[in-house]
Amino acid sequence: MTTLDSQVGSRAIPNPKNSLITKLNAGTGLIVGILFAIGTYKGLSNTLDTSVYHLHNQVLLATMFMWSIGFLVGIGAFIGPVRWLVGKDLTAEEQLYMAGDGQGISRYFKYCTDHKVVGIQYLWGVITLLAVGGSMAMMIRTDLFNSGGHFVTAPIYNSLVGLHGITMIIALIIVATGPFGNYIMPIMIGAADMAFPRLNALSWWVLATAIPVLCSAWFLGGIPTGWTAYAPLSVQAGPGMNAFLATIIIFAVSTAVAGMNITATVITMRAKGMSWNRVPIFVIGATVSVALAIPAFPTFMVAMIQTAMDRSFMTGFFDANVGGTGWLYAHLFWIMGHPEVYVILVPGVAIIMEIVPVFVRKPLFSYTAAVVGFAGIAGLSVLVWAHHMYMSGWMPMLNGPFMVTTEMISVPTGLIFLVILGTLWNGKPWLKVPMLGAYAFLWNMLIGGITGLYLSDVPADQYLHGSMYVTAHFHYTLMGAALTGAVAGLVYWYPKMTGHMLNERASYVSFWLIQIGFQILYLGMFIAGSEGQPRRVADYASEFINSNRISTVGAYTVGIGFIILLWAVVHSWRHGKIAPMNPWGAKTLEWTVPYPVPLTNFDTPPVVTSDPYGYGRSAK
Amino acid sequence: MSTDTKFHVHHDAPEVVGRRERLGVRLLIVADGSFVFALIFSYFYLRNLDQNGGWIPDGGHTLATSTGWKVVIPLIIAALVHRLAMRDPSHQRSFSAIALLSLAYGAYAQFDQLANLPFIDGESGAFEGAYASCVTLIAGGNLFHYIVAIFLALGLVLRSGRTNVNPVLESWRMRTAGSWFTWIAIAGVAASAITPSFM
Repeated sequence: MTTLDSQVGSRAIPNPKNSLITKLNAGTGLIVGILFAIGTYKGLSNTLDTSVYHLHNQVLLATMFMWSIGFLVGIGAFIGPVRWLVGKDLTAEEQLYMAGDGQGISRYFKYCTDHKVVGIQYLWGVITLLAVGGSMAMMIRTDLFNSGGHFVTAPIYNSLVGLHGITMIIALIIVATGPFGNYIMPIMIGAADMAFPRLNALSWWVLATAIPVLCSAWFLGGIPTGWTAYAPLSVQAGPGMNAFLATIIIFAVSTAVAGMNITATVITMRAKGMSWNRVPIFVIGATVSVALAIPAFPTFMVAMIQTAMDRSFMTGFFDANVGGTGWLYAHLFWIMGHPEVYVILVPGVAIIMEIVPVFVRKPLFSYTAAVVGFAGIAGLSVLVWAHHMYMSGWMPMLNGPFMVTTEMISVPTGLIFLVILGTLWNGKPWLKVPMLGAYAFLWNMLIGGITGLYLSDVPADQYLHGSMYVTAHFHYTLMGAALTGAVAGLVYWYPKMTGHMLNERASYVSFWLIQIGFQILYLGMFIAGSEGQPRRVADYASEFINSNRISTVGAYTVGIGFIILLWAVVHSWRHGKIAPMNPWGAKTLEWTVPYPVPLTNFDTPPVVTSDPYGYGRSAK
Repeated sequence: MSTDTKFHVHHDAPEVVGRRERLGVRLLIVADGSFVFALIFSYFYLRNLDQNGGWIPDGGHTLATSTGWKVVIPLIIAALVHRLAMRDPSHQRSFSAIALLSLAYGAYAQFDQLANLPFIDGESGAFEGAYASCVTLIAGGNLFHYIVAIFLALGLVLRSGRTNVNPVLESWRMRTAGSWFTWIAIAGVAASAITPSFM
């Protein structure tokens, strides 16, 4: 393979004169997007009576989609496809320009195809979403500090819960595969770029257009349904619900494109000698995650389209008066919804598996078992969705089989635990923050997993369903395990992504604050839930006040920890200690390239001759 | 600086790029397959539940079995003609043009059908029932398939006259487009033709 770098050599990249590409960026995208949105809104408002509920929904939905399309037009996303259509393919110069080499910080605001730029864009997108969702969590916990003393009104509380939920779910779905799957993964496998660089940029910018749409929900009356948006509640909800629906539909497109791209990259672009048993475990985990998302998200998308049609065209998918049923929504939602838990979790686990061998200087214990564990989780995850519907009254005779399949997931999960524990066994850990993250992950995942067993059990679920116990459980798995894994990954790969070491003292302080605060927060919530406090309710009986106050204190501790981490990330990016090429002494390929990483990553294509965890056994 | 305009930016061999593109499209077909599955699942779920007798309410309209086939046959023709184009590159442009015309006709027929479905209650503007809702959504999905296919077919026609495209990569793109055409024909038969025949 001849790399792009060797073609270009040391010469300056010529500016492809007269090409439209050079004139477009996020600013033009914003302008065109707003013009499209205003034009659509005004045009449709003049022809449809917006005082009629369903017609108003039509106008709002069309406006949101046209904003997204307009932004993509304005930033130049369709130049490549249109040029392909008319047989005038992009020239090498134009492709080089789109790769953004030598364009400095401005390339982060363009339709840039370099996977490293896309990775950084995803990183800041995730940070933004986590900051927004985290702020909402703080407001929720502030409201719950007192029984009866409202910091916000009940409708605003409902909206906060819904928006916090969906914001965090979107953030966590992309938290690992977005930044690290784009920036690190191609280098890890020895590739020059992603398989489809333009689609890579598309996946990010499509997602970016969904963020303002989601935020607009706040100004349209909010989302009163929780993130699950169960029908028929969602069908009857106010105009803010349109923002939720449009966001999910746009996000599903982004996820499908990103999932296809990552999967195709790993399958077809691995370096010479990188057989499947030499692929770094993070790459396997990321691939399993996105491959699971490819078939899972379209069903979610269909549920959203049906909800949108019920709201906008008065169809009858979920309206029992005209032959619909809320059960259909629950099926479509959870057929995606439960695999989505593993779409979030698996990359976090895989990051921990990547980190542990490096910091205990031992090979990964049973690579095969890890892969089998991931495959087992992915396979079983599509067979368990109805455990979310035990209490819905749907098919009680199927509760038993779904209980069995759900509990069977503990087997591959246990296998993954075994792999991590086996790697730690007799090792001499280097207790840097990524390694501390691995220990925190194990603790949190253990609690999240065990508490989940009670919810998979039909009799226990009858009592715990819909309580704060459920909230505490899934936060242990999604935040305590998956987000902890992603944060460990951020500290671990930060030197490669920024050229600087993350401020060590700040990262230690933030780690302990987050983890201690986390245990306090959800311990209180487990107590409240076990005693019967329902979730998603703005007020509670005074008997729950102590556990809620404990939770709120924990939440603020977590919040302070994340603020310190954010400060460390921002500050170290410019002022941090210059990172050596391989600060952790790791053996995967990303540590063999310098910072800044060359445009096509490697001067000469690497040849892999051994597995990535050949550290040898530590002395006993 | 090289002014080579023909090849992929990575400068991988055209066969490698072509194979990669075909894999990408097949993965997108998996996603689309899940989408189509959800449409069919919804149809049969609501049909079998027949909540409050609302699947096809009293006096409700239904479509003739042939209605679905009318908008699927152009898809099948396009997929078959595209296969001929792949086998006989010397007449590729003619075959691709026929496929494009077939798709354009099918898209028009699908749009026309959607615009004139007899399901909407004149007074309230609401749909008659779950059957009407499902059939309409399936028709919308089929129209989406048509739009993507027309884009691809138009591109193949326009590009076939160009000399500045790589013929090896182009032949892979024919095969890649073939995967999509075959898939939407199968999806059309399953979702638009066979599924609605179970009323």
